[in-house]
Amino acid sequence: MTATYDAVLDALGDRTRRTVLERLRDDGPLPVVAIARDLPVSRPAVSQHLKVLKDAGLVVDRQEGTRRIYAIDPTGLSLLRAYVEAFWQGALIRYAQAAEAGLSSDADQ
Amino acid sequence: MAHQPAPGGLLQPVRQSVRIRRPIETAFELFTRDIGSWWPVETHHARGDVVGVVFEGRLGGRIYERCGDGETADWGEVLEWDPPRRVVFTWLPSVSRGAATEVEVRFTAVDPTTTQVEVEHRGWERLGDRAVETRTSYLNGWPGVIRRFVEAGGAA
Repeated sequence: MTATYDAVLDALGDRTRRTVLERLRDDGPLPVVAIARDLPVSRPAVSQHLKVLKDAGLVVDRQEGTRRIYAIDPTGLSLLRAYVEAFWQGALIRYAQAAEAGLSSDADQ
Repeated sequence: MAHQPAPGGLLQPVRQSVRIRRPIETAFELFTRDIGSWWPVETHHARGDVVGVVFEGRLGGRIYERCGDGETADWGEVLEWDPPRRVVFTWLPSVSRGAATEVEVRFTAVDPTTTQVEVEHRGWERLGDRAVETRTSYLNGWPGVIRRFVEAGGAA
């Protein structure tokens, strides 16, 4: 889970990848050539960025004839949210346990 | 332009709560001043090798870990200090990225010996805002994009 959470944040930490996500968000599913248009990086670099986004669960792709079409995938952000929820659940359990422990040690004194 | 998060968006504030057998005053103290006695530092820390956690209980106070080598590493800063009912602080979910989110903790007395504690972790859009400020000279509009991105994803 931690690795995925990190992968999502890492993927979002790059300007070009954010631009790619914005483009998919605003324009809907697109082929690589349309995603790469006007970006200051090579098309192979864009493909590499798309791979990082895909591995983080932020985009999905499908083959349409000779073209590969990319679209936003909500999975990555769901995992980020699940991670944060689990994190606080665990922390609050520890907090409640500390409260109980404090009570029993008070009682012992 | 303000974008309101869509209902049910993925990065709406994360909320968790717990009810503990402590009066509200000591529940508040346990969460803040005594955070080092229960926080799972073995899995959630900034640098690691944590020997203590300091929560400076005042407006503008720092929250940080003390490490075995004498160094410290920041976790956040107190934005609102209203004991024993409420505290708000910035939170670095991943320090290496330098992006702060925000945590609010509210305490409500259920009865004289029981307290309801609610945590709200919010401000996820700031991850994107800060990324623009700290990393690059690009200033053309990443603010709020995670939130808007979530709306798009949530609508899919």
